[in-house]
Amino acid sequence: MSIDYFSVGRVVEYLPAMLRKLPVTLAVAFSSTALGLVLATLIAAALLFRVPALYQVIKVFISFSRAIPINIQLFVYYYGLPALLAPYLLPLGLNPSRANPIYFVVATYAISSSAFMAVMLSASISGVDPGQSEAALSIGMTGGQMFRRVIGPQAFQIALPEMGNVIVTNLKNTSLAFTVGVIDMVGATRAIATRTHHALEGYVGNALVYFVICLLLEKAFGLLERRYRLRKG
Amino acid sequence: MITLSNIHKSFGRNHVLKGIDLTIRDGEAFVIIGASGSGKTTLLRAINFLERADQGEISIGGVSVSAKRATKKQVLDIRRRTAMVFQNYNLFRNRTAIRNVAEGLVIVQKVGEKEALERAAELMAQVGLSDKLDAYPSQLSGGQQQRVAIARALALRPEVILFDEPTSALDPELVGEVLGVMREVARMGITMILVTHEMSFARDIASQIVFIDDGVIVEQGAPIEIFRDAKEERTRQFLRRIMPEFTYHI
Ligand SMILES: Nc1ncnc2c1ncn2[C@@H]1O[C@H](COP(=O)(O)OP(=O)(O)OP(=O)(O)O)[C@@H](O)[C@H]1O
Ligand SMILES: [Mg+2]
Repeated sequence: MSIDYFSVGRVVEYLPAMLRKLPVTLAVAFSSTALGLVLATLIAAALLFRVPALYQVIKVFISFSRAIPINIQLFVYYYGLPALLAPYLLPLGLNPSRANPIYFVVATYAISSSAFMAVMLSASISGVDPGQSEAALSIGMTGGQMFRRVIGPQAFQIALPEMGNVIVTNLKNTSLAFTVGVIDMVGATRAIATRTHHALEGYVGNALVYFVICLLLEKAFGLLERRYRLRKG
Repeated sequence: MITLSNIHKSFGRNHVLKGIDLTIRDGEAFVIIGASGSGKTTLLRAINFLERADQGEISIGGVSVSAKRATKKQVLDIRRRTAMVFQNYNLFRNRTAIRNVAEGLVIVQKVGEKEALERAAELMAQVGLSDKLDAYPSQLSGGQQQRVAIARALALRPEVILFDEPTSALDPELVGEVLGVMREVARMGITMILVTHEMSFARDIASQIVFIDDGVIVEQGAPIEIFRDAKEERTRQFLRRIMPEFTYHI
């Protein structure tokens, strides 16, 4: 009997079970990006307004997030956050050590990508030429109106390509979620591999799925960028 | 009427404005001239609080505020009584020409969308750009952008329009069209304060000219008094330097 390394049939066979867990993968990727964006907005505001002490703290935080490999960050938050939060949550009857690990994954990627996104947002905002802000103020706009009408939309346009990269990075990082016990697409694939002793087909299937999703995201962001570039003229 | 009294402004240790007093009557075309670095831009920007002066009073149309202590609300009030035309046009690059003009009406003055666009279209016609309503700034020449910027300022019906060297970033062949529009603005009786190096234009349209040097007003008067009979040697020196041909004409 020849050695049976790979069969296309098994790729197709395993795919449905993996795809059933795709929503978990996507949920982690998108919710961590969304939450990260909210955090990043707050951090960027602090950076732009040069809130004195915070500014230094954030800079240190950003260099940590950039330097430390994402799987190490994941473990640090996974083991660290419960210890940190237990004193506050236990009295409320919540035990953070028993929480679904998916929350820690989302928190990790959100926090980690927030640092990068914050730099990107504040750079995009500073990237809009200050003459336009002055023009907005000179016609009597408030700071808020200036941001909503003039600076925000143009900063968005500058930030858009990088935003696409962040989502793709977060999506790819979801493939590490299984290391803390999340059963996402990769988790499902590992289970199949253990059960059937065929690993390669599952991972090939995974590769295809990631590849297709990234292509779709690229396409979507390409369209968005075109749309907003066209509006600028 | 606009009055500035005892305006001082320093950047660090650089004392740029050293006690400026000015009165500008309604409908005047008030021209500020002076050498580079003398503080002309800083003075204009102090009027609408793009730069906050360290000392002095600013009063526009009966509202008087202390430069140093003006509240956010007072600053907004002053800004809503003024408009500014910048050297680099500073149009909103994410909006079409007509939207640039309508923006202040809709967002600041809360005029309805339809009425704002109608008024914006009229102003675009006034500055000769009826065919460019839907063009984005990047699709317009410098002269066209500056004319849109003037329309944007006019739209708000401010008590005064501040012009900071509106033609000095333009290619020479585009200067004329912008000066033409400004001449029209002056003829409409809209109060304007204009910083410019275009001396012959200043002589034509100015009701008053002040010469500023090193943060102080050296001399002020009607164009003929400044250009023909300047009393101060510093003024005469500046004029000789900036328009040497002028000395031959008299
Ligand atoms: N934001 C600023 N920070 C520091 N110094 C400034 C600032 N703005 C202006 N200055 C300084 O103030 C002085 C006056 O500058 P200002 O721009 O008012 O001159 P100006 O008369 O408009 O000159 P120009 O004819 O070249 O436009 C200069 O010495 C300039 O370097
Ligand atoms: Mg200047």
